[in-house]
Amino acid sequence: MKRSKSETAKSLAKAHFNNEPNLKHVYVLEPLNEDDPRDPIKLLEVVEGTIERGIEPITFPADPARGIEYPVLIVEVSPNEYEAIRKNPGNTRGLHMHGWSMGSELSAN
Amino acid sequence: MTTVPAIDQDWARAYARQALSDLDAREILASSGAPKCHRLHFLQMAAEKVCKAYLTTSNGHSNVRKTHAYVAKNLPIIARVFYGSNRNQIARWEMSEIRRLAHEIEVLAPACDDDDVRLDNSEYPWQDGSGNVRVPSEFNFPNIDDGSRAIIRLIKLIRTASESYA
Repeated sequence: MKRSKSETAKSLAKAHFNNEPNLKHVYVLEPLNEDDPRDPIKLLEVVEGTIERGIEPITFPADPARGIEYPVLIVEVSPNEYEAIRKNPGNTRGLHMHGWSMGSELSAN
Repeated sequence: MTTVPAIDQDWARAYARQALSDLDAREILASSGAPKCHRLHFLQMAAEKVCKAYLTTSNGHSNVRKTHAYVAKNLPIIARVFYGSNRNQIARWEMSEIRRLAHEIEVLAPACDDDDVRLDNSEYPWQDGSGNVRVPSEFNFPNIDDGSRAIIRLIKLIRTASESYA
């Protein structure tokens, strides 16, 4: 049975924590749009030491052979950039520009 | 006749196909004993293009086409996603090494010199800190062992990621 976007997002976060030592936090970016399989799962990943380039999403097509039934979009930011997003969620040059907002945090376990 | 603009998906696939060709060229150079700078030059170009393939659909071709500085940040993300399944895992130390190598590969492009800190590059002569003019084909690029396990894994990643998009 096909997993939901929410379930897939949780397993992606675990896998990413497992292989990226500098990954500090993973958040779902809303809306997740469970009913639209073409709309990507969007994750905000906070990585210590990453290059600060603002909101620069990178998108991966669905890859059912690897158990990923939906496209996945990742926004990687530094802890400083994350703090700026958290303090000013309505920044028109940030997530808001894409129509996204911070969702729940996903755990490593 | 009016030309219909290509869509971002077309550009993304094209970047991925060219990345595969760059890797093939690197293989030919490696097997013929070409100087390291030429092997690294094609590796840098392949790495840049696979990153652009994955960036194009969400950022638009017009925004990604002119910049070279995408590898250091985005190649580790591609590695994280591709090695994020149970069937295809990677050790955390290897991920750290991939991050280091991605930065080293990015600065191989002459335009990416870390604000004049890294003048060594795979294409053009440069002047080193001692005042000597260095030639890429005579330089050994000590920060990149292109026979190491991590770089072989990185090359395989670039190929897999490109094939998956092409």
